[in-house]
Amino acid sequence: MNERMDPAPTSCGQATASSSTGRPDAAAAATGMPTEFPAGLRVLLVDDDATCLKIIEMMLRKCHYDVTTCSCAATALSMLRERKGWFDLVLSDVYMPDMDGFKLLEHIGLEMDLPVIMMSADDHKDVVMKGVTHGAVDYLIKPVRIEPLKNIWQHVVRKKQFELKELEHSGSLEENERESERHKRAMEEGDNATSGCGENLKNIKRKKEGKEEDEQDVDDQADPSQTKKPRVVWSSELHQQFVTAVNQLGIDKAVPKKILELMKVAGLTRENVASHLQKYRLYLRRLSVPQHHDRHDGPFTSAQEATFRSVGTVDGFDLQALAVSGQLLPQNLTALSSGSRRVTNTGLRMPVFDQMGFLNSGNASSTRSASVQQMNRGLSYFSGFSNSIESRQLGQSHQLVEPYGNVCLQVGEEISGLLNIPSPQATRSSLPGGISNEQVNRSLIMHMSQQGQQFSLSQQQENFHGQPLPRGQIFNGIGGHDSTKFGHQMSPNAISSHISGRTANIAQTPLPGNHINASYSSVPQALYANNIHDSCLTESAASHYPLASSIGDTPATGNVEALSNTSSLKGVTDLSNCNIYSELHQNKTQDWKLETVNISYQSGQNLAPKQNNADFGSSLVAHQDSIATVQDESSRNTCTVRKEILSVTTEIEHEKIECVAQCNSTILVENSIRLKAESMPDINQQEVLYDNIISNDLMDVGKQD
Amino acid sequence: MALHFSSAHPISALHPLLCFFLHDTYPEMEYASGLQRQLASMKKNLFDQGYLDEQFYQLEELQDESSPNFVEEVVTLFFRDSSRLVANIDQALQKYPQDFRRLDNFMHQLKGSASSIGAAKMKNECTSFREFCNKENREGCLRSFQKVKKEHAVLKQKLENYFQLLKQVGPVDKATHSGN
Repeated sequence: MNERMDPAPTSCGQATASSSTGRPDAAAAATGMPTEFPAGLRVLLVDDDATCLKIIEMMLRKCHYDVTTCSCAATALSMLRERKGWFDLVLSDVYMPDMDGFKLLEHIGLEMDLPVIMMSADDHKDVVMKGVTHGAVDYLIKPVRIEPLKNIWQHVVRKKQFELKELEHSGSLEENERESERHKRAMEEGDNATSGCGENLKNIKRKKEGKEEDEQDVDDQADPSQTKKPRVVWSSELHQQFVTAVNQLGIDKAVPKKILELMKVAGLTRENVASHLQKYRLYLRRLSVPQHHDRHDGPFTSAQEATFRSVGTVDGFDLQALAVSGQLLPQNLTALSSGSRRVTNTGLRMPVFDQMGFLNSGNASSTRSASVQQMNRGLSYFSGFSNSIESRQLGQSHQLVEPYGNVCLQVGEEISGLLNIPSPQATRSSLPGGISNEQVNRSLIMHMSQQGQQFSLSQQQENFHGQPLPRGQIFNGIGGHDSTKFGHQMSPNAISSHISGRTANIAQTPLPGNHINASYSSVPQALYANNIHDSCLTESAASHYPLASSIGDTPATGNVEALSNTSSLKGVTDLSNCNIYSELHQNKTQDWKLETVNISYQSGQNLAPKQNNADFGSSLVAHQDSIATVQDESSRNTCTVRKEILSVTTEIEHEKIECVAQCNSTILVENSIRLKAESMPDINQQEVLYDNIISNDLMDVGKQD
Repeated sequence: MALHFSSAHPISALHPLLCFFLHDTYPEMEYASGLQRQLASMKKNLFDQGYLDEQFYQLEELQDESSPNFVEEVVTLFFRDSSRLVANIDQALQKYPQDFRRLDNFMHQLKGSASSIGAAKMKNECTSFREFCNKENREGCLRSFQKVKKEHAVLKQKLENYFQLLKQVGPVDKATHSGN
C-alpha cells in the first residue's frame, strides 16, 4: 500500500516541462517548490476531535509533511492570518462546534487563497457537493487512511501552476488557449485519490473560471505584466478596498482594470485583481445558495429548492417586501409562504433575491404574526424569501437589500418602486409622500430575507404586523438559530432600530433629521425585521426609509427600513452579525445572493442627510458606536442596540442600486450578540467584511453544524 | 521441551526452529510464544467478531520507533473523550422534549471518533442510533443508545486486556501481526 508514497507525478499531471522525468522533485523544482518536495509540505490540520486529530497528524508526519494542528477553527484562522504565507495547505474537518468548516473554507479561500481539503465522516453527496462548491480542493471521508494523504501535495502544486499561468498570460490570453490549458490540466489531474466527484466538478469549475477570467482579460489589454509577481496577500484592508471598488462599479460591471484603478494600490496588478475577483464572484454565488447545516436535511439542492419555493407571496403581497420592511419577520415570511417548508439549519442562509426588490406589502400583518411562529421553527427565511422573490411578480418593485459590510444592491429595471405598500399598509406607514416605487429601486437589499432567515431561526415571535413596508429594503439582521445571525441592512436612514428578538444588529441609518422614535409612524419602515417578539414590530414603529429613494422628498434616504421603534426591540435578543451580501444580477436566473451583514444599528444618529436621495452615488458612512435605545411607543418595548460601526454606502445608478453597508455587529441584548462583541473586539470598519463573516460564524455559538 | 527429531514428526521438529526464528532466545521462546499466541488469537477474535476493523491496522502502521505506543495512546485518548461524550448523550436523553439535532451531533462526533480507531461494532450502533434520531424516535434512540454504551464498554475492556497482554509480550516483530 505504499506504492503511492513515491508520488508518481504523471498521475497528477504536473504541467511542467520536467514532469516527464517522472519525479515529483524535478517537477516541483520547476514550479519553484523545495527540492525535497513533497516532504516538508506545511500543512495546517484543523479538527475538533482529539482522536482524529492525533491520528491524522501522525499520518501526515509519516508522509513527511510539516504538520501544525489546531482543534479550533477560529484559532486556525487567526494562525493563518498571523503567519501569512507560512502554510501550504489546510486540512479541515467539516463539523466543528465553533465554526462551520465550510465557512472556514470560504474565509481561507478569500483571504489566503490556500488549498483546503475537507474531511468528514459524512459522506452524503450533498455535503461533498457543498465542499466542492465552496471551493475545497478535495474532500476526504473519515476514517481517513494514509494513502490519500500521501497525495495531497498535488493540490498545492496545481494551485501554484494555475497562478503561474495566470501571471504569464495576463492580458493576452486567448480564450481558447486558456480553455485548452485548463482542460489539459483538468484531465491530467488524474486521481485525486479521494472523492470521486470532486474531479469533474473541479473541471467544470475551472472552465467556468476560465471563461470568466477571459472575459476580464479581454477588457484589459494594456497591462503587460510579463514578469512573475510576488504573490499578493489579500489582507482585510485590501479586500475591503477591493469590495468597495467593486461595489462602486457594480458587481456586473466590475472589471479588474477599473477595480485596480479605483483601488489605487501600488504594486497590485490587474491579474491579482482578476483572480481575486473571480474568487469573490464564486463566493458570492455560493452565498446565494442557502446552506443547510442540518445534517438531517436532505440533499442540499433539494432543500434549497424547497426553501425557494416556500416563500411565496402570501396574501398577495410580497413576503419579501414585508420582510424587507422589517415587518415581516423572517419567520413569518417563511411561514407565510409555505406551510411546510424545509427547515434549514440555523445560521445564515443566504437569501437569494431576485432582482426585484421586495417590499413589504402591508397585508399580511395578521398572517404574519401567525407565520412568524412558524418561521421561528426554522424555516429558512432565505429560502422562503427567495421563493417569494421569485414568485413575486415582476411588476412589483422590490428592492434588494443587502445589508452587509459590502452591500451591493442592484436593482433591476423591473423594480419599479421600492416598496409596494398595500393600502392598508400605506396608510400606516405613511411614507413620505415622495416615496415612490421608483425610489424603491434604490432600496437596499433586503435583509429581510436575511432576517427572515434569522427570524425563523430565532425564536422571535414576530410582530410585524401591519407594518407597511416602506419602500426600500429592509434589512434585518436576524440571528439564525441559536446563534443569532442576521443580516440587516443598513439604510442610511435607518431610523428606527428595531431589534427583533435575538438579533441585535440592526443597522439603521437615521433619516436625516429624523429620529428613530419620532418618525415611526410617519415613515414607513421596516427595516429591521428582527423578529423580535410580537411587540416588536408594530405598525407604527416601522419606519421605512428607502435607502436610495429617488424621491427627493422622501425623508428616508436610501431605502432602509428600519424596523423602527415599534418593533419593540425588546425582543432583541441576540443579534448576530450576518453578512448579507446580495448581488443583484440582471440575468435571467435572478440569483440573489444575500449575505447577511452585521449591521450596526444606529439609532437616532443621522447619517448624512439626504444621503439617499435621488442623488446617486451618495454614500453614507456612519460610524457610530453608540448604544441606541429604541423605544417602541406602541409596545413600550425597548431594545438596546449597540452598534459599533455602521457605514452605509449607497449608490444609485440607473435602476441599479448598490448599497453597501458595512456594519459591525450590533450587540444586542441577548446572547450571541454579546458573544460576538466579545469575540470580536477588534472589529474595525476596515475589517468589516471579514469580521462580519467571522462574527457570523462566531455568532453561531451553540449552533451545531 | 523435548525435541523430537524423528522425521515422522516434522512439525515438532520444525517447531523449535520456527520458534527460534520468531523469537530471540529459546528458553523465553516458549513462554513468549505462548503469550504471543494468546495475543495473536485475542487480536484475531477482535477482528473476527467485528469489534475492530481495517482502520485499526492503519493505526498500527503508524506506530514506529519514534512513537512506540502510538496505538495505545490513541485508544486511551479515544476512550477518554468518548466516555465523556457518552455521558453527555446520556444526559441529553434524559431531557424532555428531546433535542434530536443535538443528539445527532453528539452521535456524529462519537461515530467519527469510533471509526477513526476502527471500532466497527460501536460505529454501527452509532449509525443505527442516528437513524432513530432522524426519525425522532425517542424509544428507538434510547434502546439504540443502550447498545452503543454496551459496545463502548465491551470494547474498552477488550482493548485494555489486549494492551496489557501486549505489554507483557514485549515488542514483537511485525511478522507476528496478522493481517499485514
